[in-house]
Amino acid sequence: MISSFVGVLFDGFAYGMLLFLLSVGLSVTLGMMNFVNLAHCSFAMLGGYVTVTLMDRLGWPFLATLPVAFLAAAGASAALERVLFRPLYRASDLDQCLLTIGVVFVSVAGAAYLYGTVQQPVQLPGYLRRAVTLGSFRFPVYRLFLIGAALAVTVVLVAALECTRFGARVRAAVDNQRMARGLGIDVDGVFAVTFALGSGLAGLGGALAIEMVGLDPSFAFAYLIYVIIVVSVGGLASIGGSFAAAALLGISDMAGKYYVPQLGAFLIYLVMVGLLMWRPAGLFGRR
Amino acid sequence: MPDLLLAVRNVRAGYGEAVVLDDVSFEVPSGESLAVLGRNGVGKSTLVLTIMGFTTLIRGSLVWRGEEITHLAPHRRPRRGLGWVAQEREIFASLSVEENLTVASRPGRWDLAAVFELFPRLAERRHARGHHLSGGEQQMLAIARALMTNPDLLLLDEPLEGLAPIIVEELTAAIRRMTGEQGSTLILVEQHADIALGLTEHVIVLERGKIVHRGRSRDTLREPVLLDRYLGLTLSDSPPASGP
Repeated sequence: MISSFVGVLFDGFAYGMLLFLLSVGLSVTLGMMNFVNLAHCSFAMLGGYVTVTLMDRLGWPFLATLPVAFLAAAGASAALERVLFRPLYRASDLDQCLLTIGVVFVSVAGAAYLYGTVQQPVQLPGYLRRAVTLGSFRFPVYRLFLIGAALAVTVVLVAALECTRFGARVRAAVDNQRMARGLGIDVDGVFAVTFALGSGLAGLGGALAIEMVGLDPSFAFAYLIYVIIVVSVGGLASIGGSFAAAALLGISDMAGKYYVPQLGAFLIYLVMVGLLMWRPAGLFGRR
Repeated sequence: MPDLLLAVRNVRAGYGEAVVLDDVSFEVPSGESLAVLGRNGVGKSTLVLTIMGFTTLIRGSLVWRGEEITHLAPHRRPRRGLGWVAQEREIFASLSVEENLTVASRPGRWDLAAVFELFPRLAERRHARGHHLSGGEQQMLAIARALMTNPDLLLLDEPLEGLAPIIVEELTAAIRRMTGEQGSTLILVEQHADIALGLTEHVIVLERGKIVHRGRSRDTLREPVLLDRYLGLTLSDSPPASGP
């Protein structure tokens, strides 16, 4: 009983960390820029396909593909931000939704055309397929790696936002765009870099997600809803909020599927509704 | 003859379709101070926002050191040397005092040590977040933050509004130091006309978006009819002790 509880807690937390990696970029960019980017998971999907391509076709080791997945998603999002998204920053939410959902359709069709609709396998290196045993508990190394990666990203993000001049500029632009511009801060440039970093993290999340949740062209739609739930529950522009919400939702989802299989994946939505009724702006929401 | 920093020429500006300023022209030479006076809603703050690039400029031009900046992006104007203290202070609430000061700072004579000397209270509160400051502290921070960009021209939009008399005295002394000892160039928009006239060398008075009076501040203080008509100020209202 205790063993299964610890297992559910561990697996749920690892899954939550995956959701965190996928969603933290959207939380920051949506909260900062008020841009409803429903194509966020398309960048995650891109990261996943970059990893699959580099491993399967070019024989790269898994870990070496991760920075490339990050950079590919960041670069693609920077280009799209410049060409497609930026002109719509001052448009209505509906216009932004329509444009970005269109990008999702295009990305899904593009992935299906290039890779087919089948799940893409990824062969992890042996050391990541092992498990660590502690007493009667067994912890898969890959999930420990996932948790470590998410914690490292959290530390780096928080340090970058709180301890660097660029981070202070991001926070200043979030607080008051006009005043930031009035002091000479290039708010559009700050947002573009942040947007690219957020999408890059999604790309990294997409690459890390393959082993746990698989990868096919429906990924961009399937995980969009989870990412939006994490952002809503965590609160916009809050790294801590995204972390807490992702952990909570990941554990809830896993516990629901294990202990209340009749409810299946529905428990995550109940948790979301409950939390948003308690705190409509999210756990760490600023507004 | 001092260098001409800013020339505002025949400016007609407002917000969208609404016109607030009409045919406004004036010049600000280096080292001089200009008061912009007028009753509420005559376009004083709109004038500042227009210089900073935040309004709709329908006609006219802005020339900075001989170069046209009429269509220059707002964030590029501070880099040319324009400093702005907004009417509502607009402190970055989630940043500490020190972060507010350094987030957009540029090299020059105004650094942390210099602004802390001007406003010692900010040094005491350097680690406090913006939203934890009092109104007076926020105003000091807003001025210090603009100074940290080391501007050639400082635009102060109603810096004394809504502050306790003791804070007004403190800020007035700081502005006097800036214009006097340090020779800063500034445009001071102010409801407290008597104080503004005591702090500046020149003045323009706005009425319904147009300039209805321009002259030396010292001379304007001796025009009771004008002061009463456009500013609702009578000379019995505390005249300033000394000019710049």
